[in-house]
Amino acid sequence: MSNEQEMLLRRLSGAQFAAWETHMYLDTHPNDTVALEANRKYHAKAMELRKEYESKYGPLNHGDTYGDARFEWVKDPWPWERTGN
Amino acid sequence: MFQYEKKLQYPINIKTTDPKLASLIITQYGGPDGELGASLRYLSQRFAMPYPELKALLTDIGTEELGHLEMIGTIVYQLTRNLTEKDIKTAGFDSYFVDHTSGVYPTSASGMSYTAAQMQSKGDVLADLHEDLAAEQKARTTYDNILRFCSDNPDVRDAIKFLRQREVVHYQRFGEGLRIAQDRLNSKNFYAFNPSFDIPK
Repeated sequence: MSNEQEMLLRRLSGAQFAAWETHMYLDTHPNDTVALEANRKYHAKAMELRKEYESKYGPLNHGDTYGDARFEWVKDPWPWERTGN
Repeated sequence: MFQYEKKLQYPINIKTTDPKLASLIITQYGGPDGELGASLRYLSQRFAMPYPELKALLTDIGTEELGHLEMIGTIVYQLTRNLTEKDIKTAGFDSYFVDHTSGVYPTSASGMSYTAAQMQSKGDVLADLHEDLAAEQKARTTYDNILRFCSDNPDVRDAIKFLRQREVVHYQRFGEGLRIAQDRLNSKNFYAFNPSFDIPK
């Protein structure tokens, strides 16, 4: 994995983590509008980074494709492999 | 339904293999306080949860635990790559190797295969949430114990510290869930029993 890919994956994971953490906080505080606002902001950021990552390096979910002729899903590396993250 | 996302929740890139350490960390894959038991516990208990906040919480934490199961599998896999004859005879890994070679198998560090007998789904909101709070503390203790063995492997230590922190956060959320449940039960319910099964609504 190139430095550039690794950096983008780290940024994506960071945004996803912030979105997930606020999401779970909202499970027990569903009326907290400040947390809801933060959650929407992080989620939007994660979606944006995810789209950028997938368009460059292939799909993260089975349904995601960005017009490549090859079936990108089967490509190595997989997440548990050292070069995969 | 569930969908797979082809990435880890937190990156794991272990430069130095250590089969003995793998044979200890495997306990969070299939041991008594491991991630498999945690996800199965929460994803099973959620069907009997009476309030929407609790259905959401059990679903979300149970789902995150599946991501942690993948992380533990990844740590074990990476710690046992390219082993030499000498490596597999390392005290502490030889017995695992005989049974599973370098395959990732749900077992405890002390050699007991994964069993659902170590968890409950009681169908009682208070009983289940108390089990969940205890489960997070026990998993946190296990990670504290694992950390004592990985001081010279910073790549492993980093990932284990992340997982330990998640136990602490989940414990907080379950505590809030328990408070929500108790607030909605009868205000005279001082002794914390769940009347939903016996008393018609």
